Amino acid sequence: MEEQTPIDNTPEESKAPESSPSESPPAPKSKILVGALLAMVLVVGLYYVNRYWIEPAVRAQTKGDGSHPVAPPFSLTDITGQPLNLSDYKGKVVVLDFWATWCGPCRIEIPGFIELQKRYASQGFTMIGISMDDSPEPVVDFTKELQMNYPVAVGNDRLGELYGGMPGLPTTFVIGRDGRIYAKHVGATDASVFETEIKELLAASPADEATDFHRAGQVFAEDKVELGDPATIDSEVPGIDLTKLTADQKEAFKKLLAGQQCTCGCKFTLLKCRQVDRNCSTSKKLAKDQMDAFLKVNSTGVATK
Amino acid sequence: MRYMRIFLWGCTVTLLATSLGWAQNHNPVVEAHVVVATDAVHANSPLKLAVLAQVAAGYHINDHKPTLDYLIPTELKVEHSDQFVVKSVVYPKGTSKKFEFSDVPLSVYEGPVVVGAVLQAGKEMPAGTYTLKAKFAYQACNDHACLPPTNVPLAVSIRIVPPNVPLKPVEPDVFRRIKFE
Repeated sequence: MEEQTPIDNTPEESKAPESSPSESPPAPKSKILVGALLAMVLVVGLYYVNRYWIEPAVRAQTKGDGSHPVAPPFSLTDITGQPLNLSDYKGKVVVLDFWATWCGPCRIEIPGFIELQKRYASQGFTMIGISMDDSPEPVVDFTKELQMNYPVAVGNDRLGELYGGMPGLPTTFVIGRDGRIYAKHVGATDASVFETEIKELLAASPADEATDFHRAGQVFAEDKVELGDPATIDSEVPGIDLTKLTADQKEAFKKLLAGQQCTCGCKFTLLKCRQVDRNCSTSKKLAKDQMDAFLKVNSTGVATK
Repeated sequence: MRYMRIFLWGCTVTLLATSLGWAQNHNPVVEAHVVVATDAVHANSPLKLAVLAQVAAGYHINDHKPTLDYLIPTELKVEHSDQFVVKSVVYPKGTSKKFEFSDVPLSVYEGPVVVGAVLQAGKEMPAGTYTLKAKFAYQACNDHACLPPTNVPLAVSIRIVPPNVPLKPVEPDVFRRIKFE
């Protein structure tokens, strides 16, 4: 039987002559040394990255330093026809779950949320589900199928933007008794993580910020709480802050956008595209660029007056 | 000196990998474009086109015939026009894959996805260039989260030539792989 020849990757210069068995071949040693050196560099590098970059960021977010923003208020009608106002839950710990029926990772979290509602509702806790489905029908069916025991409403893009936009679903916010957001979890998260955070916030005072709150579970970059700015969300040109403009400038800027075609393939003008499809990243960027140019021209004009 | 070279190589590779990862986070999850099977088309004749989509690494989109009812299927939506009528759309067979969020394996598309379509050019179309518009509709997820349903707008220029002008095939390898009936 023919024997397979092992592949020799050893560089030529480090190969020892086969006829001198007394000299140990340096090739494997050098490889080990290089490997060890690289591993050391990697470990030291990771240590410093963690110490000076990741840790402070996580600490700033997880430890109370007055940086927990107040959850944006909202008023919706839930799928049973009842009003659903976040302000009605002031003094309670709320887990606010943005989800959708077409989202597998969202669906898998729901039984855990039902269980949390069962366990902690009597202690001052509530789950709230905000479905990002286009219509209530599949949501109603799903809530019945799973016998969801907490309020669920169909949300909208504006609400999603107020909560910083939805980079992915599920996106879940943990809100304290004081109405502040203490944690944000993007992606399917184990119910035990929420349970830990709920318990900690239930023990906190409703009057003060829970400054020593610690987030549970892994922290990812997208978990940073960054809320949307109502000035840009509720603008006549969604996504663009018009508050710096005078009434005349506002009209002039809208006219400027109305005279330009959006390049996203929507066939609308830039203004119309912004107004009918606030999620269109193409029109958002183009409108922002236009605003920067507009402000430059107009601020120069003001300064020279 | 040699170690230094290896070390510098290691650093370069690490930097490249990091920047690629960053780029991935800022690029769309699916990119797509259209290719027509021939360089021109005759009026009153069928024409084939292919949508070449690329799903970003780590993500998947649902099969055109998804495993579960609640999943949003991948679809090619050709804009209605008087010039071109859709006769059939051919979707690839998905890959069966198990995800943490599902008890059963799901049929999904990952990486390159090729969707074919057969259209009929209108009877009385004069020679000239026409634009065909379509949308590649998908809903992407990774193992932990999903993105909202999205449409990639597509447009392709189609040149109608007289019947005596011979047509040259374009990207025949792509079209050979599509199972047109």
